[in-house]
Order: sequence, then C-alpha cells, then structure tokens
Amino acid sequence: MTGWPVLSILAWAPFASALLIMGLGRSRPGFVRWTALLGTSVSMACALWLYANYDLAAAGFQFYEELPLVPSMGISYQLAIDGMSLVMVLLTAIIILAGVFASWTVKTRDQEFYALLLLLVTGVFGVFVSLDLFVFFLFYEIAVLPMYLLIGIWGSSGEVRPQGLFGWAFGRTGVGTKEYAAMKLTLYLLFGSAFILVGMLALYVAAGSTSFSLLALEAVEFDPGLQSWVFLAFYIGFGILAAIFPFHTWSPDGHASAPTAVSMLHAGVLMKLGAYGVVRLGMGLLPEATQQWAWLVGTIACINIVYGALSAMAQKDLKYVIAYSSVSHMGIVMLGAATLTESGLNGAVFQMFAHGIMTGLFFALVGLVYEKAHSRDIFSMGGFATMMPGIAVAFTIGGLSSLGLPATAGFVAEFLTFLGAWSSAHSWWLFPAVIGAFLTSLYVLRVVRAIFWGPKSTDPHFQNLPDAQGTEWVAIVILVGALVLFGVLPGLALTPIDVSTVPLLMRLGVL
Amino acid sequence: MDPSWPLVIEGWLFALVLVIFVLGLFRRQAGDAVAGWVTLAGLVGLSIAVWNAEPGRVALEGTFVLDELSLFGKRLFMVASVLSVLATQAMTHASFRRRGTEYYVAFLASLLGMLVLASARDLIVLFVAFELMSIPLYFLTGFLKGEKAAPEGAMKFFLVGSISSAVVLYGLSFVYGAAGTTDMSAIPALMATVNPLVLLGLALMLGGLGFKIAAVPFHMWVPDTYEAANTPFVAWISIAPKTAGFLAIFRLYVEGVGEGAVLWVPIVSVLAGVTIVSGNLMAIPQSNIKRLLAYSGVAHIGYLLLGLAAMSVSGVGMVLFYLVAYLFGNMGAFFVVQAVAASEGSDEIEKYQGLARRSPVLALSLLLFLLSLGGIPFMAGFWAKLFIFWAVVEQGMYWLAFLGAVLTVVALYYYLVVARRMYIEASTNPAPIPVPVVLMVAIGGCVAGILLMGVYPEPWARAFMRVAMTLFSTS
Repeated sequence: MTGWPVLSILAWAPFASALLIMGLGRSRPGFVRWTALLGTSVSMACALWLYANYDLAAAGFQFYEELPLVPSMGISYQLAIDGMSLVMVLLTAIIILAGVFASWTVKTRDQEFYALLLLLVTGVFGVFVSLDLFVFFLFYEIAVLPMYLLIGIWGSSGEVRPQGLFGWAFGRTGVGTKEYAAMKLTLYLLFGSAFILVGMLALYVAAGSTSFSLLALEAVEFDPGLQSWVFLAFYIGFGILAAIFPFHTWSPDGHASAPTAVSMLHAGVLMKLGAYGVVRLGMGLLPEATQQWAWLVGTIACINIVYGALSAMAQKDLKYVIAYSSVSHMGIVMLGAATLTESGLNGAVFQMFAHGIMTGLFFALVGLVYEKAHSRDIFSMGGFATMMPGIAVAFTIGGLSSLGLPATAGFVAEFLTFLGAWSSAHSWWLFPAVIGAFLTSLYVLRVVRAIFWGPKSTDPHFQNLPDAQGTEWVAIVILVGALVLFGVLPGLALTPIDVSTVPLLMRLGVL
Repeated sequence: MDPSWPLVIEGWLFALVLVIFVLGLFRRQAGDAVAGWVTLAGLVGLSIAVWNAEPGRVALEGTFVLDELSLFGKRLFMVASVLSVLATQAMTHASFRRRGTEYYVAFLASLLGMLVLASARDLIVLFVAFELMSIPLYFLTGFLKGEKAAPEGAMKFFLVGSISSAVVLYGLSFVYGAAGTTDMSAIPALMATVNPLVLLGLALMLGGLGFKIAAVPFHMWVPDTYEAANTPFVAWISIAPKTAGFLAIFRLYVEGVGEGAVLWVPIVSVLAGVTIVSGNLMAIPQSNIKRLLAYSGVAHIGYLLLGLAAMSVSGVGMVLFYLVAYLFGNMGAFFVVQAVAASEGSDEIEKYQGLARRSPVLALSLLLFLLSLGGIPFMAGFWAKLFIFWAVVEQGMYWLAFLGAVLTVVALYYYLVVARRMYIEASTNPAPIPVPVVLMVAIGGCVAGILLMGVYPEPWARAFMRVAMTLFSTS
C-alpha cells in the first residue's frame, strides 16, 4: 500500500462522503447513514494502517506528502505525522466512528447533519496531519465553522437559566438557549483564530516570507522578543479552544447545547486540538518563549483543574457536569505540557487521548439517557441501573477512568502528569492537581450514584425506560473497549508519544 | 480604434451615453428595458475593449495616462457596472418603467467620470472627473422619488458630497499654490521637502476623499443613502466610487512618492483603526439589512485603509485584491437583498427567516457572500483579509493586524445573525422567492467570482502585485 497518499485519504474520506450525502442523500436516511459510516470507516482503516506502519525506530515525521498550493507565498499542502499526531488521528477516528453510530437516530434534516459533521471531521483530521502552518489554519477553520450550524440547528436548549444577579445581567442575551451557545462558541473560537493568524503571519514574515512549513520554521531561531508575544498569541488562540481559564465559558454552554455526536467530537477531539496547537506550534517553534512562559501556562492550568472541578460539583444539569469536567481535565493536559518534563508531556498527550475517549463516552451516554428519559436534571433521576444496566455499567467505567482508577486510561495519564509536575521546576503544581483529582472523584461518584445506583425515582416519567439498543451498543462498546485497552496496555499509545515528545523536549533544551 | 490609445474607451462610452439619451427621446413609453439592454450590450463591448487594452500610453501632455493602475480601475468599474445593469433589468418599480433611459444616461455619465478619474494625472482633471462621477450619483440616489426615504437620502448625499468636493478643492488650491503646477508628478518632490503648505493641502484632500470613500468619521451619509436608493444602484455605489476614491488616493499619496509615503502612515493607521472599530460596532444593532451592509461596508473601507497604511508594494497590491473580493461579495449580497425585497416588500432582517427552506440556492448564495465578507477560508474575502494582514505585519505593525483580526470576529457575529435567520429559524411562509433570470445571472457571476478568487488566489494576487509595483517603480 506504499505510495498511496494515506494521510490525504484519511482526511478527505469523510469529506467525500459528505459530498455524496449532500448530492444523493435527500430523503434517503439509510443511504446517508451508511455513506457516513463508510467514510469514517475508511478513515479508521487508514488510522489503523498508519499506526501499524509507523516506524518507531526512525521516529520523526513520516508518510510525507507535498503539493504546492500558492508557491509565491510558500504555501504548500504538506502532510506528515509523528507519534503525537498519530495518536491524535487514532483518537479522532475512534470518536467519529462512535459518533456516527451515536447519531444514528437523528431525525430532523439528517442529510445536512451528517454532511456538516463529516466536514467538521475532515477539518480535525487535517489539523493533525498538516505540516504547513497555513494549511493547518485552513483546516482549523473548517473544524470550527460547521459547529455554529450543528449546535444552532440540532442542539438542545438547557433547562437551567441564570438566576438572581446573573439572570438580570444575562436575561436578554438568551443564556442557556442553543442559539446563544452556538454563537458564543463560534465567536470565542474565531476570536482565538484571529490571534493564531497574526502569530503565524508574524513568524512567517520574521522567517523571511518564504515558507509556512513547520519544518522550515523549526530551523529558524526567532528573536526572543518576537517569540515571547507570539507564544502568548498562540497560547491565547489555541488556549481558548483548550478552554483555559478565563476563556473557558464557551465550552460548558457549547457542549451542553450541542447534539450528542457534536459534543463527543468537540469535547473529545476539538479541545485537544487546542492543546495540540500549543504543544506543536507554541512549544515546537518557540523554545525560549516556552521556557519563559511555562510558569503562566502551568499556573493557569492549576486554576483550570480546581475551578473546573468545583464548577462541575455545583451543576444540576448532567451535561454541564461533564462539560465542566472537561475544563478540569484539559487543565491536566496543559499542566503536563507546562512541566517541560518527559513524563509530564507524555502524560499530557496521553491525557488528551484518554480524556478524548472518556468524554466521548460520557457524552454518548448522556445523549442516550436524555433520549430515553428526556431529562438532564441529575437529582430528579434515580435508580436507572435496574432499567438500563448496560448504560449504567459503561457510565461507571467512564467515571472511574475520569477519577483516575488504575487499569483505566485515565490513571496512566494522571499518574504521569503528577509525576511530571512533582519533578518540574514548580513542584507545588502537584497539590492543585491532586486536589482536582480528589474533587473529580467526589462529583463523578455523586452523579453516578444519583442517577444509576441510588434509590429508584418515583417519577412516572422515569419508569420502564429501555436500555441501549442496536447501533447505540456499537458506540458504547467501541469507546469502553478503547478506554480499558489503553488503560491495561498504555504502551500502545505511550511508545509513539514518547518518540515524538523526546525530540521536542531536546529542542527545548530541558532533556 | 485601438483601445490602447488613451481616451478611446472614454469616447466610446460618451457615444453610448448619447445613444441612450437619443433613444429616450424617441421611446418615452417603453424605453426602460430596451435602454437597459442597449446599455448592457454597450458595456459588454467596452469591457472587451478594456480587457484588450495595453498599458503604457499617455495623452494630453501627461495629464491623462493609460497605465496598469488605470486599467485595473477601468476593468473593475466595467465588471461592477455590467453586474449592476443586469440587476437593474430585474427592477419592476414604476420609475424604471417611465424614466428608465434617464437612469441609464446618468449611470453611464457617472461611469464616464470614473473612467476618466482612473487615468487622471493632473489635479484639475482629477477634480473634474470626480465631479462628473459624483453629480449623477446624487440624482440616481433620489431616482425612486415616489419612495419616502429617497429625497432625504439624496439630499444628505448631495450635501455631504458637495462639502467634501469643496474640501478637496480647497486642499488642491494649497497644493497648486505651493507647486505652481497642477501636474501631479510635482507632488512627490514637494512631499519630500515637507513643505507645510503642501502637507496641509494634501491633508485636506485626504479628508475630502475620506468622505468619498466613507471612512469614519466621514461616513454618516452611507446608511441613509443606501437605505433610500434602489438596490442595484446601491450595490454599485458600494464599490465603484469607493474604488475611484482609492485610485485617487494612490495617485496623490503613493505613486512615485516611494519612501516618502511613510509620512502618511500614522494618520492613515488611525483612520483605518477607527473606521474598522466603529464600522463593525455600528453594524451590530442594525435590523435593516441594507443598513447592516452599509456599516459593514464602512468597516471594509477600514480594512482597505489598513492595507494603505502599510504603504508598501504588497500593501497597495492587497488593497486592489481586497477591492475585487469586496466587489463580488458585496454586490452579490445586495443582489440577494434585492430579490428578497422584491418578494417580501421589506429590507428587514426578519424577512430572511427560514430562507434556507424557502429558496435554498438564494440562501446559500447569501451565506457564501457573507462568509466571504467575513473572511472565511476558501472565499475571496479570506485571502483579501489575510493579504492585508500580511502586508501590515510585514511593516511590523502587529497591533493593527491584531485589531483588524479581532474585529473580523465582530463582523462575523452580525453576518452570522443573518445566517441564523436563514438557516436556523423556521419560516412562516414556505413559498419560494421568485428570482428573475437576469438577477440570477448577476448573483451567479458574483458567486463564481468569490469562489474563483477563494480557491485559486495566486494569479489574481500576482496580477495585482504587478500593478502595485508600477506605482512604486516610477520614482
């Protein structure tokens, strides 16, 4: 199979199926779903093939493809992956495959829904595989924009409205409605991309306006003053997507309002894209600024961990709990990266993967619970385990991984990150991180108990609810399987991660 | 006649004006459609001539040139006029049935002014061309005189326009006083000596031109004029006279000046920043789509000024790219507005509710235009903004690039509000919106424009850079 542009096939297969769906899928729901499944399966097959054929001994960027786009500006369609992007590609493929199954029951305007979802996935794959900063940015925009329509049209408005002072302040903005959430999310992310764009252009011009290629820019030693502000621009730009405090508020609103598959993809993969951007562009291109600003990144990450966990504890809406837990867990990712240690950075990347699967699973299950019980209010539901044992078990496994129980993927990630935090220059970072993990176990176990294992609710709406059915099982099995597999055998992901983080840290001069 | 000779195209256009005028004398009853088709045929013929013209010749002792920049201007004016006339053919208003020829005579006269202006290398010729362009515009704004808003819009436009002309003329007199000649090629040398009289004159002229291109704080005539006038005409004045203004600015402040142009960087930067910020912010509360596009148009002028503020080859080249991208995006958006207004009888944004279900093609076209105006990848507007930022970053003006980039998000907000009406909200009336064929052609042309430039910007950017290079190399 060598000689095939596997990375392009991986990225564009969903796009091709989106085109097919738009062209031929009008009022043919079966065709729409099977085409979507076909496209994402091709991507999955490509991802697995890449994983199997990535040469760990050689490391570095492999499966190189290039095609000049705008030669006079030095823009070329340049793709390649290293270990870190390999793992991210695998994550994206898993989540979208599960997402297609999870949205099998979408009824309204399913043709457009699947087409936009697949377009979005093309953007995400593209970001992870592109080496040219400009193409990276283009894919990034493709990944952000369909979100507006996906949430605005197919989302759901929350049941919780702001009260008291907040009710007065936000009363007229429509807080809690899907339209509000969609607009907020889109504007926040575009705001971030404005920063990224200017930072990118600054590097491009400083390097002599000849190439946008990551490899070419890596070879340039930028002026420390320039590095310093460009790093901040990247940090804010990508950090918004990774939900860094205080730019995180779009994420709970957006994730809570989005339809299931979009929440899965967004919380599971897109937020990682932010962290990936910080690591790949920020740390990869600007070594001195990384050293200079590591304290800021790490400290804000600590705030994220604790603040996200505390906010999650205060929520009554199930989707908001999961959404805030993402804010908290993304803090762990950023903290791991800020430690500038091998175990910390490995933990960060592994956490991106583990948290992606975990959140994908959570949102899939929340979607199922909502579809059957038509409620997201944690404390009105109760004792669902007797009616939907499958969902209950899967949710519990996800919860245990979230709080870092050994033998789940979450444990490996948190352990490595904590290790990195302790051995970093700021060892006090360990304490907020551990407090965050403790708070996580509080809110996760509380939710799991209230909804599934606690006393049965007497509400007549919550009687005789069915368990997951048919295609829904497929999504659950894929995600739970991945969560346990990578928890028991973390080396599957850690080995490729390690071969890409070590050169990065060596460039930073800390290894 | 070889169109590469200066004044040949202008001569033909003048002949066309006479033809339409005479036609109007004889066909008073049914003059509208015929006059429109004759105008269209004439403009298409002239467009072919303009495209075949070669730059390089000079006439009237150097006061009238046919160089790369003037050809760029003439081509842009031709494209805009053809699109606008196409859309005008879809107008069913009573005024057009009765007085269609008057409209086209004034329209072509204004176009003649623009074509002359594009070639003017003399202060007097420049000013006369400006007036020839502007005076018919005042009349055309009030053309639908039965409508309530028309006289108000026309009067405002007329007053502001006359005052700005006076300011330009006043500034011009200072320059003439210092230089002793009206030849523009004398200006660079005077600028280099930092002659206070010349600087005062040029600053006054910049203010006057600021009115013409509608930069903040000289923008307040724009929304009222846009609201009052008929939509195909608005589409046209949203781009053609503004381009004329920029051509005049290039001639006065950039051509042949070289390094000395840096003098204008602070004032143009401030003007650009203020225009971008206030244009975008004022667009947010609008509930009438023509007013929204008017304010967003003001913001776009700010981005164009941003490119000018770079005062470099790439800056000017990218302004030209932006102008063309803006032409397709903005005119297209106005054409969709025209179609919706013809069916719904209103320009309120509310009327766009559920448009995606009623007329999917129309809604998709408007979405593409708005995304292009908002600067989304794979649309012309994206490259336009990107190139402008690039030019600004190249000069080390990071803050301006940041400001511009952040304010695009504000712009996307109000464009997305329209998108939300069209795509997310349900419509009360499921009937599709009828679109006349001519209008469909105009819209299709604009879609093709933004997509062609968006997917393959390279040749366009190269061509515009070449034009910009000539401005800097003549010194």
